[in-house]
Amino acid sequence: MSDELNSIDESVRLIVMEARRPVAIDPEARRRLAEALRAEPAPTRSSRVLSWFVEPRPFALPPFTTAALAAGLVGIGVLTGIALNRDGRAPTEQPRAVAASSQLPDSVAPRAIKFVLVAPQAARVSVVGDFNGWDSAATPAKREADGTWTTYVPLRPGRHIYSFVVDGTHFVSDPSAPIAPDDGYGQKNSVVVVAGASS
Amino acid sequence: MKAHPGRLASALLLTLMLASGASAQEGRDPLMRLERTARYSVEVLMDSARLMGLPTRPIESKVLEGLSKNASPRLILAVARNVFRSLRDARAALGPKATLDELDAAASALRVGMTQSELGQLGRSQHGKLLTVPLVVLVDLISRGVPRDTASQTIFQLWQRGAADDDFLGLWRGVERDIVSGADPGAALLNRARQVPSREPPPVSPPRPE
Amino acid sequence: MSDAADVQRVLSGDVDAFGRLVDRYYERCARFAVRMLGSRDDAEDALQATFLRAYRSLGKYQERDKFSAWLYRILVNQCRSIAARRNQRERVFVREEAVLLNAPDRTPNWTGEESELVQRVLAELDPLLREAFLLKYIEEMSYEEMSTLTGVGVSALKMRVKRACDRLRARWEYIKDE
Repeated sequence: MSDELNSIDESVRLIVMEARRPVAIDPEARRRLAEALRAEPAPTRSSRVLSWFVEPRPFALPPFTTAALAAGLVGIGVLTGIALNRDGRAPTEQPRAVAASSQLPDSVAPRAIKFVLVAPQAARVSVVGDFNGWDSAATPAKREADGTWTTYVPLRPGRHIYSFVVDGTHFVSDPSAPIAPDDGYGQKNSVVVVAGASS
Repeated sequence: MKAHPGRLASALLLTLMLASGASAQEGRDPLMRLERTARYSVEVLMDSARLMGLPTRPIESKVLEGLSKNASPRLILAVARNVFRSLRDARAALGPKATLDELDAAASALRVGMTQSELGQLGRSQHGKLLTVPLVVLVDLISRGVPRDTASQTIFQLWQRGAADDDFLGLWRGVERDIVSGADPGAALLNRARQVPSREPPPVSPPRPE
Repeated sequence: MSDAADVQRVLSGDVDAFGRLVDRYYERCARFAVRMLGSRDDAEDALQATFLRAYRSLGKYQERDKFSAWLYRILVNQCRSIAARRNQRERVFVREEAVLLNAPDRTPNWTGEESELVQRVLAELDPLLREAFLLKYIEEMSYEEMSTLTGVGVSALKMRVKRACDRLRARWEYIKDE
């Protein structure tokens, strides 16, 4: 078996060696299993009639239940969708944002991009991103009567990364924009691609 | 939603005024707030990037982001190194003709687990269209739980078939909505991808083997 | 005492013999479940379900099969169904979770950080790729055994393992310096 390891990349080999190490399992879990086994009737050779239900199978449902269960699962999915906000979080005072929209037809000049965040509880909101050095003081948003915060930012055509900052400290990505994944700082950001003849 | 040009003009004027204030601040060394040792290492990194013909703005921007988010100097340096590495690898995968935006988007894709060979496939450019939007969508979908293989192959196929930016954005909106409603991310993507109209006949050569 | 003999003993009424089987396989199964699911809680659920299921369906075990392969088939399926249930709970995928396992460090050469990074990079693999990779390189099964166990063809499994290695290699470069 170790010959096979020689043929794989060194970094993968490191991963394999580490992953082969034993893991710590809670002795409590072991005890629970022992108890559960004690409560079971002693196994015997079972008859063919029951065989479908007890024989280990690749993950699959008994045929006659599949359709019903599938329908049920779809129902669960839809219900969950209704119970949550668009961004999947439970309805609380969590801020949510409306899509940043790209506005005007082609040119290389910057165009004003509108950023909106719904955050009625916030005391102040700003937009930060690669266009303003992530400076939370640079681009404050203005609060509207309905608790939404709006600002316009001139952005050149192309890809820009941004986030909202609520009350100076709380970084909130735009739930209705494409995700710019967390690169190590612990929060994801958002992407806007401004249309135009970018170079 | 389209804005009125009149209202836009005054908003634009105001934000341009604010923006000029911000750039004056950047005129002084923007990395000044970074702890000295880490700053030195970042500057060395950026010099290497310059020598290699890689853009330095993404690295600088990542550092500023880290400062804004109160990350430790050690973490900022590690992240900066990652960005540098991913830019270098993105350049290798996409070639010298890639735009800065494409490089940036490709680097982000590498950082979420795309391989250089997958990027290289996309880099065989289609009709002068930019890779930026497809890559942005790809990275987003992976971040939402679409298996990388599924995401990569689906985006690649759409790209090959001539899908435009609007097609990718429309696809993204549909998949995002489906996922939020509880659909399995991979299934949602495959489902929505089928609805994207094909703008070109498929290439004569067979698609790459699985 | 061979596995098959112990199974026979259990079926003949010596239920303690099943305890020996559990002892023999628990840690190995635990390792697979933890690496596969990335969560100790989920792994414990998988182990419980696996050994209970094995116990209940022991009557169906055929001596011509390797007991470990038979057991692993149950384990793999339990891990899959737990993962599927978990996906339904956590529908909105914000980011891949880096799961900290804090397994106690037994050898001084490895730091806790390595362990965390390895688990993270494994967690980022697509589940089917991760499963194939673990069965091949951690459980050290042959492709034929894996094929019988999963019901997937050997060449497809080889492709999955290869893809897993490609991704792991690519990923490792990025995360090891974080």
